[in-house]
Amino acid sequence: MEKFSNGLTLFFSLLVEAIPFLLIGVAFSSLLLFFVNERTLIKLLPKSPLLGALAGSLMGVFFPVCECGNVPVARRLIVQGAPTSVSVGFLLAAPTINPVVFWATWVAFRGQPEIVFLRVGFTLLIAVTIAWVFSHQRDMRPLLQPIVARQMPKPRSAEPASPLLRSGTFLMQSSGTTLKMDDPVTQEMIASGPAKPVSVKLQLVLDNMVQEMKELGAVLIMGSAIAAFVQVAVPRDWILALGQNFITSILAMMLLAAVVSICSTVDSFFALSFAATFTTGAQLAFLVFGPMIDLKNIGLLLTVFKPRAIFYIFVLAAQLCFILTLFINFYVS
Amino acid sequence: MSAKRPRGPKTPKQRDRAPWYRPELLDALVLAAWSLAFFRYWLTGKLFLLLHPDYMWLANGAGIVLLGLAVFKLTQGKRRPSYSGGGHTTLLPPQLSSLILLTIAVVALTYTPQAFASDTAIQRGVSDSLTLTRSQPQRFVRQTASEERTVIDWIRTLNVYPEPDAYTGQAVKLSGFVIHPQEWPEEYLMVSRFVLTCCAADAYPVGLPVQLAVSRQAYAPDSWLEIEGKMVTATINGQRQLTIEPTKLETIPEPRNPYEY
Repeated sequence: MEKFSNGLTLFFSLLVEAIPFLLIGVAFSSLLLFFVNERTLIKLLPKSPLLGALAGSLMGVFFPVCECGNVPVARRLIVQGAPTSVSVGFLLAAPTINPVVFWATWVAFRGQPEIVFLRVGFTLLIAVTIAWVFSHQRDMRPLLQPIVARQMPKPRSAEPASPLLRSGTFLMQSSGTTLKMDDPVTQEMIASGPAKPVSVKLQLVLDNMVQEMKELGAVLIMGSAIAAFVQVAVPRDWILALGQNFITSILAMMLLAAVVSICSTVDSFFALSFAATFTTGAQLAFLVFGPMIDLKNIGLLLTVFKPRAIFYIFVLAAQLCFILTLFINFYVS
Repeated sequence: MSAKRPRGPKTPKQRDRAPWYRPELLDALVLAAWSLAFFRYWLTGKLFLLLHPDYMWLANGAGIVLLGLAVFKLTQGKRRPSYSGGGHTTLLPPQLSSLILLTIAVVALTYTPQAFASDTAIQRGVSDSLTLTRSQPQRFVRQTASEERTVIDWIRTLNVYPEPDAYTGQAVKLSGFVIHPQEWPEEYLMVSRFVLTCCAADAYPVGLPVQLAVSRQAYAPDSWLEIEGKMVTATINGQRQLTIEPTKLETIPEPRNPYEY
């Protein structure tokens, strides 16, 4: 009974600490959805693969979304013709490299500031590397889900000879041109175009906030329950045996990160509950790997990429993350 | 809340559900319940058991924002603009999410958090030194009068200069809860505190030994003591340790804020 009560106290302590950050996260992601136009942003991005990868990885600073919000944004980036390196870099880095997550990690790991900076540094390194690797794939379409590939801007040669022989829904425009209705850009315009007054947009923002809050809150609750359960119910000897070994501790935390699927805005509080028992490298592995790939995320990624591409990203991210954090365990901490 | 329920003619889509089912009302209920839970912890002071005081404003703010969102959902009624873009993909069905959130909010509203006690301290490995995985002190406060140091102040001081003899004869006045470490002789108990850096999830216990003239059974584990006395060095279980020799031992009620920072 004592243990149960402790577990509940832990559970609620995680929740009351994390929910404010979750609220900030969903507020930002909802505002961006309705007030930022990615197309203007894409035009400003560098075209070189390496610089593009870096720019994409750092774009999270302007898009403070966690990994649940960034897949839709990355998808919009791809569809609107952003270079591969930019969208992949964004996909991997944005959930970690953004002000809200940085602040939350700072709050949680105030006592060990090196974790905060290593988290950002490693994420940037891994994201830029993978994005750079992917940029060597000239044409992304074989790696994308057909529905996304079809929405991408096509090369000129693929354009049908006659503008009449195209499938889709069209609106006749005044000058004899047509507007393709099922084009994602048009969809976007219809959904959130400048035609809507700000008051309506704000209502949509609040509505979206509530929706995301509900969805992510439920995942947060399950994650916190697991963290609290592990802390009170698993014998400390077991955890220490696993958590103090340089290699198993990292592998265990990476596996945990992938399974728990906790939102990156609040995952540092989850990791914090393992701060006393796990190696620094293992905590970093959790904080770096979790936002890139986890079970919840894979479902979302499948809406954009083919399984093959996700597998590549997963293997690359896992290996890089493992090697970097192992280095920390052996040589730094 | 249901008294304020805005009523109006139903759209055909709503008709095939139960007549009382309105998703926006369920949302409002979930948000209001969570807001209430935050306010409850705030107003009863139980937030002290969960969070570091530096971050309480965040939790209090969340309570206010959640209340605002609940009011928004409640008053939104039928003039809800529709939006179906953005590619938002959900992992859980929305009703299941709402159900989980509502259930946990109800638990939060009925359950009163408990401060961690001696069992947890022993399980988490109470010690008189901060191990390397603990947060490292970022600043070293100039020596305060020894009787003003709290348990964690003493531990931090010891961490910097561990020789117990250096503190012999210094006056002590501090409070904490009682632990009976199994391996210690009967006339020693440990007076302990949990230390937070962020929230209860990272609470770790620290403690100092107290040398008693009588058996420690006089002071039950988990009871709170205020101790005045002076520092001595005692050899407990084969280890030389800085120990309190009390001149005054008083049982006190559990403080409103049992943690140190």
